[in-house]
Amino acid sequence: MTSRVSFESTNKKALEKAKSRLLFGGTLVAAAFLVIAVRLVDVTILNEESRKNTIETRNVTAGIKMSRADIVDRNGILLATNLRTPGLTGNPKKVIDPIQAARSIVQILPELSETKLVKQLSAKSKEFVWLKREITPRQEYEINKLGIIGVDFKYEEKRYWPMRNLTVHAVGYTNVDNKGLAGIELFCDEILKENQKPLELSLDVRVQQVLRREMYNQIDKYKAIGGSGIVLDAETGETIALVSLPDFMPHEAGTATDNEKFNKATHGIYELGSIFKIFNTAIALESGKVKLDTSYDARKPIYISRYIIRDYHAQNKVLTVPEIFIHSSNIGSALIAAEFDRSLQQKFFTDLGLLRPSSIELAAKGTPKPPDNWKKIYRMTVSYGHGISVSPLHAATAVAAIVNGNHYQATLLKKDNKPVHGTKVISEKTSLIMRKLLREVVLKTSGRSADAADYLVGGKTGTADKSRGGGYDRSKLISSFVGVFPITSPKYVVIVNIDDPKQINKLRPTGGRVAAPVVGRVISEIAPLLGVFPVMVNAPDIKGVSLNNQTNQSSRKQRIAVN
Amino acid sequence: MSRGGNFGSIELTLREKLIRLNWEMFVIILLIACIGFAMLYSAANGSLSPWASKQMFLFSLGMVLMAFVAIIDIRFWLKLSYLVYGFNLSLLLIVEVLGSVGMGAQRWLDVSLFQFQPSETMKIALVMALARYFHGLETYDVGRIRFLVIPLFLIAIPIILVLRQPDLGTAGVLGLLGAVMLWLAGVRLWHFFGFALCVVASIPIGWQLLHSYQKQRVMTFLDPESDPLGSGYHIIQSKIAMGSGGIFGKGFLSGTQSHLNFLPEKQTDFIFTMLAEEFGFIGGTSLIGLYAILIFYSIFIAYSCRSKFGRLLAMGLVANFFLYVFINIAMVTGLVPVVGVPLPLISNGGTALITVLIGFGLVMSCWLHKGIFINRRGAA
Repeated sequence: MTSRVSFESTNKKALEKAKSRLLFGGTLVAAAFLVIAVRLVDVTILNEESRKNTIETRNVTAGIKMSRADIVDRNGILLATNLRTPGLTGNPKKVIDPIQAARSIVQILPELSETKLVKQLSAKSKEFVWLKREITPRQEYEINKLGIIGVDFKYEEKRYWPMRNLTVHAVGYTNVDNKGLAGIELFCDEILKENQKPLELSLDVRVQQVLRREMYNQIDKYKAIGGSGIVLDAETGETIALVSLPDFMPHEAGTATDNEKFNKATHGIYELGSIFKIFNTAIALESGKVKLDTSYDARKPIYISRYIIRDYHAQNKVLTVPEIFIHSSNIGSALIAAEFDRSLQQKFFTDLGLLRPSSIELAAKGTPKPPDNWKKIYRMTVSYGHGISVSPLHAATAVAAIVNGNHYQATLLKKDNKPVHGTKVISEKTSLIMRKLLREVVLKTSGRSADAADYLVGGKTGTADKSRGGGYDRSKLISSFVGVFPITSPKYVVIVNIDDPKQINKLRPTGGRVAAPVVGRVISEIAPLLGVFPVMVNAPDIKGVSLNNQTNQSSRKQRIAVN
Repeated sequence: MSRGGNFGSIELTLREKLIRLNWEMFVIILLIACIGFAMLYSAANGSLSPWASKQMFLFSLGMVLMAFVAIIDIRFWLKLSYLVYGFNLSLLLIVEVLGSVGMGAQRWLDVSLFQFQPSETMKIALVMALARYFHGLETYDVGRIRFLVIPLFLIAIPIILVLRQPDLGTAGVLGLLGAVMLWLAGVRLWHFFGFALCVVASIPIGWQLLHSYQKQRVMTFLDPESDPLGSGYHIIQSKIAMGSGGIFGKGFLSGTQSHLNFLPEKQTDFIFTMLAEEFGFIGGTSLIGLYAILIFYSIFIAYSCRSKFGRLLAMGLVANFFLYVFINIAMVTGLVPVVGVPLPLISNGGTALITVLIGFGLVMSCWLHKGIFINRRGAA
């Protein structure tokens, strides 16, 4: 009995022991699960360090999220962007064989010094050295393929301008730290840093390309020292093209000369000569003091103070106001200017924005240099564009205001159909007369080479002696032409200035000879791009129809009907 | 002992067995397996071939096999135990002689459908053999040291064979499994710890016998950063991938670290890493939760078994399953060295899958026959 009890109790004890050990095992399992769960929290959630090392973060932080927004033209063509460029780095602590590593690297980057590399990679106290910044993706691939332990890549963002020098004076450039130093890059530095969305400029690179090419060829032909050109949307003030030559590569801005970096279109101020007769004539007509048939005796030079005002294309006769304008008589213009008082001219110039820096989004803006005072002599010289210096952009903006009656602020940013507010400068009637006069210049004078076939160009030549010291150097000219098209309802203003063109065949390189052909060629190429329809003025059905808005519209309809 | 009332003495008919079968266990296993199929699909960059489709086929086969194993009388399995062990041991010997060489180790016998790994099935065979041995032992005999000689041989022989393949992970699991069985059988604590001490003392000797790559693995485990491009690469990449998954993961098929092949062996040993990258902490803990349910359910079955054989068998099998889960997850999270242990029911691999399912079949058989008293010789 006793033995049986003890046997049973042994069995029972054994069973209890077995079950308690089983339960203990279960507890261990539970504890193990807890350990795993805690570890999983550690690895998946708290593991910040690892997250930084994933393929995405290495890509994304350097690739998509850029520290500086792109710049695009009005059609979305990329003008400035950021490129992720690899740089070669080393971790000397990890490099096993610096000599072998240096030898392999030099095979791919021959410009590096092998001895210097060995020295850099042997500095065991360091964990990071730059071996070479900005290597090409091809070189990155080749070096990566070597598989050298301790040699790695660090990615930096580099500003890149795909259009290179084409838009450099408008877009500008940055320093190596991607800080804007010129152009839009400087003026809109903060916006570009804060935004991710591309900044849309009003520029059209196609137009820009045409303008730059034609100017470049002409400067080359006339051995000029440079020039500037602008295509302006007359109805909004948007700058469609802005060229200043010579220009430079934005990627190598450090090596560019001051002359190359100088923006002649907006920063340079020049006496633009006869182009100012547009403003003078408009003031005269708008004031009501002068009628179209008022005539002036332009036979003798005017002697005033210590100056003589004379004509280049002397007509030696009594001229009416349109004749003075068309034949570009300085004497006539001066006589007209003498008719109205100083406040009128000053007010008008102010309205046209000719006396203050332009509103364009560039830091490089010239402040106009008006005469010291508005005495009669200066009022007279200003009438034909001497004694007052403005930038070509000023002139283009003011001409746009004359031909459509309203003055619009010049801008480099795309307006995107936002309403633009112009200020009324002259009446529709005066504006119409001015358009007719501008058209006459192109039809009847040296400006005719600006007449791009069927695009109804109006315009005015300007040939100004370059000022030097206190006087003028008659052998050095600024030859200009400002064109407007289509003159029946002006859409675009094109201004071209060629700086110091040289004589060809002993002919004076005037605005009509040098600048007007450029404008003509440019317009014939850009008008189709900009969606301006040609009007067949010599087609029998519209020949002789007077050029004003309404008739033009009807004639356009007729033309379409004929077609 | 009277948990099931008089149910314990009742022999169940086939119909009753089918009704009482642990269908909820089927559901949990199916859920885990489905996660596995999804991960294999993802590991192949969104393709059923080469892994997921084959795994699905083998799984369906395994499920049928599992039900079949479950309804067979536990006494039959008891009688079969030594035979299974012996048969498996001979298979290991055959592998030793003519197994095909794969991944630097002879582990597989090439049967037409999959490469059969006897070292996988050996785990079940070992558990069965040990359960049978201790079942046949008188309670007071367990405490005697001479009765421990046979089980130690039962454990040692397959371990030596597996080590020669060489497969450190499986050998380690077999060793641990043997220890668990001895523990559950009621071996005295001082015997147990004395033996453990011997094992620890023999580590320096064993170290000499290890392959250099195995030494490397252990060393790398101790300091993975020491060899970031070699052996430490697995663990570092695994941790990076998991860390990048965060709480919610990157989404199905979107795990860049895995898909861009930064992560090695993503369809086998490191499949949990890919799960954690694509489904994050939430996905990882959900799977662990399912495993925990399955394991604790099995422990409950072991606990409720009347027979010693049933209890030891069920607990040994669940220990085997648990060791797989724990070692694999601990491995990919960098808690233990990389030893090449697959994640059961998830990792690609036919033998492991079938083995695990047969194991759960046996656990279910323990459940269906939990009330049956078996004498030491195996009769009711």
